[in-house]
Amino acid sequence: MNISPTEAEEALAAIQAMMQKTRRAISSSGAYRFLIVWGVVWLLGFLGAQFLPQYIAVYTWMVLDILGGILSAIIGIRMNRGVRSPSSSSSGKRIAIFWMLLFLYCVASIAVSWPADGKQLAMFIILFVMVGWLAMGLLLSFTSIWPAVIITALALVGYFLLPGIFNLWMAILGGGGMIVLGLYIRSRW
Amino acid sequence: MAELNETIHQPVRLRIMAALVTLGPNEEVDFTYLRDLLEVTDGNLGAHLRKLEEAGYIAVNKIFVERKPRTFVAATPEGRKVFKEHVAALESILKNK
Repeated sequence: MNISPTEAEEALAAIQAMMQKTRRAISSSGAYRFLIVWGVVWLLGFLGAQFLPQYIAVYTWMVLDILGGILSAIIGIRMNRGVRSPSSSSSGKRIAIFWMLLFLYCVASIAVSWPADGKQLAMFIILFVMVGWLAMGLLLSFTSIWPAVIITALALVGYFLLPGIFNLWMAILGGGGMIVLGLYIRSRW
Repeated sequence: MAELNETIHQPVRLRIMAALVTLGPNEEVDFTYLRDLLEVTDGNLGAHLRKLEEAGYIAVNKIFVERKPRTFVAATPEGRKVFKEHVAALESILKNK
């Protein structure tokens, strides 16, 4: 079988395009959607906490968290729906159970320690979410632990050194950072 | 030197194999999901999958999931090897032009 260099080039381009499309559609790279969703939740929630009256900010957080949870569930169900492997079903269930338990432990810890203000409460939740992220990173992809470490460090810097603009700091660097990271992962894949 | 493979080189089959080798070695993809990904019809995809299955490049697994029949498709080790050789042959044509 003989083909021209032009045909070979076209075939290689078609292969590349298909592989990229498959990675985006099927592979675990779909996780970037979670980053964008929760980046938007953090951006809007922390901006609200910085600029809106406290009672409106609390309701804004609640609505955003519920929306984020619903969108995450939809993304999780749609992700990899067409792909199966012997381990994917059981590991998917274990991951879901892990996040549920982490959420319950977070609520229990808040109930026991009862944070004095909104900033402490936010830090509590951020630290629990980042522990979950680190656990997922160590389990699934080691390189993905670095954003969690950086976000944790930024949150601690904001909490201890910049308390006056902590919410704005977290909105831009935490929420904005997650959105940028999500878009970067999407374009890289 | 790697050889071009006539069965794989057909445009739709080339894209099918490209999609399947992108999956992990133990993963398989649902027929309808693959059809949507490739933007082809059921009949067209079915015909090309038969050719690839006859050649031993893919494995077709028909099972029941929640009482509904589902067809899953995966590249075989032989299919992965032949596809790799085909890509190497295409690259060598470009290098030698």
